[in-house]
Amino acid sequence: MSDPQTTKSAYAKPIPVPSHESRPFWEALRQHKLTMPKCSACGHRWFPPTLLCPSCRSAEVVWEPVSGRGKVFSFVNFHRNYHKGFADERPYCVAVVALDEGPRMISNVIGIAPDEVRCDMAVEVVYEDIAETATLAKFKPVG
Amino acid sequence: MAHALRDKYAIVGTGKSQLGRVPGVSTLGLLEQAIAQALDEAGLKNSDVDGVICRGPDDMYCFHQHIARRLDINCGFSTSLDNGGASQILSISMACMAIEAGLATTVVCGYGRDSWSRTHATKEARTQTDLVPAAQRPREFGPEHGYFAAVAPHAFGARRHMHEFGTTREDFAEIACAFREHALRNPEAMMKEPLTRADYLAARYIVEPFGLFDCSILSDGAGAVVVTSAERARDLKSRPVTIKGFATFNNTKGWFEEDHMVSTAAQESGARAYKMAGVGPSDIDTGQIYDCFTYMVLTQLEDYGFARKGEGGEFVRSGALRLGGALPTNTSGGQLSEAHVEGMLQIVEGARQLQGRYDASRQVRDAEIALVSGHGGNTVCHSTLILGKA
Repeated sequence: MSDPQTTKSAYAKPIPVPSHESRPFWEALRQHKLTMPKCSACGHRWFPPTLLCPSCRSAEVVWEPVSGRGKVFSFVNFHRNYHKGFADERPYCVAVVALDEGPRMISNVIGIAPDEVRCDMAVEVVYEDIAETATLAKFKPVG
Repeated sequence: MAHALRDKYAIVGTGKSQLGRVPGVSTLGLLEQAIAQALDEAGLKNSDVDGVICRGPDDMYCFHQHIARRLDINCGFSTSLDNGGASQILSISMACMAIEAGLATTVVCGYGRDSWSRTHATKEARTQTDLVPAAQRPREFGPEHGYFAAVAPHAFGARRHMHEFGTTREDFAEIACAFREHALRNPEAMMKEPLTRADYLAARYIVEPFGLFDCSILSDGAGAVVVTSAERARDLKSRPVTIKGFATFNNTKGWFEEDHMVSTAAQESGARAYKMAGVGPSDIDTGQIYDCFTYMVLTQLEDYGFARKGEGGEFVRSGALRLGGALPTNTSGGQLSEAHVEGMLQIVEGARQLQGRYDASRQVRDAEIALVSGHGGNTVCHSTLILGKA
């Protein structure tokens, strides 16, 4: 039997804890689909999720797939160690990605050196299965 | 018609606790020190106070009650505030409103926190990297991507501003170096060593584009002021400073939304405060600008109209922030070099500059109007205070 503390596959980064409002987002990501809330009544799209449409207060909130394409609105590169799970990857890029559909979300830009990332760079989603129960949406440069 | 509350209320006493590394003195003890100094200045007894509006660490319940108890007073109006670094100016605004409403006559406003001790005083404390209580930390939409703590959101703003307007780290360096130079003239300031542009650029990155000297310092400390009517102030022993205007505005839709990262809530808060005070940017003799990070000063200078949007870099490079410059700013060293007490010390500094109580080496000459700002919460809350020489 392997010692759990030395199991190589142990995932050391935080695993997201869904809320009542966000559960559909995380369930769709498990199916490798990036979805965003949309109001059936007024068409408004937003993120992060809320119980009611923040524009018209309708409860008719549906989760609709988005293209997975967007632009880097802004980005930072973490050098300081805040969490042991990320220690060996520093510097790593954390970005605010503006999806083509409008909502903006926190993610990582991968597949490119952190110091080559630029604001307004076109990116597209890539899925990373991190645990039986969780998949992350990250982004890589288009092309 | 002039705003009904313009110049109607005044700051009649200011106080600071010991600053920096003050192990063994609690948050409440620090604030007691600051309040005692402020009341001494005004010549008031504890029993003259009938209002307390304070803020402390985020995990202390009903902070104001603990302070009022230590002053041995009952209050006609007292509350703790929860608007981040924008709270401290808000407390002064609320003091004016409470007095105007007849709920109190003499209000103590203060902030204290033992941030250095909490994160550095013991081996156990040194494992803390986040002053936010555990229950308040996000559990999704952040940590899973390695997004932690307060540096990063402000760094997002800096990066976007650099992208849109060509602002550079050299511009941020001038902000850090100017405030450090001011701190060297302030014997109470934590930072005692000169800082050069080369030092700034050679320092390690924390969250790029921010390096070590873009970030404010961790401090134990407290500040306090006493607010009463300008009429009553005339009978007190201190030289009062009049409250010309105040405002607050929060871009609560979010830091990531619209253009909030590069055009902060200081725009709307500033416009409202200028209107109340009947002044504009060209009337301001000294700025005490909330400097949690260098970039936040740069954008606020634009948002308050001291420079056009996108031209903050050019403005600071002109030497404007230095004593003798166009807008001597954070003349105590600010949160980057004096001590980080969530903006409370900058209110004290603004008031003291207008009292003209410093020696020539750190006094803003002929200072008659000061603008003080507060910023914080989830990066979106802002408050503005415009003070006048009595």
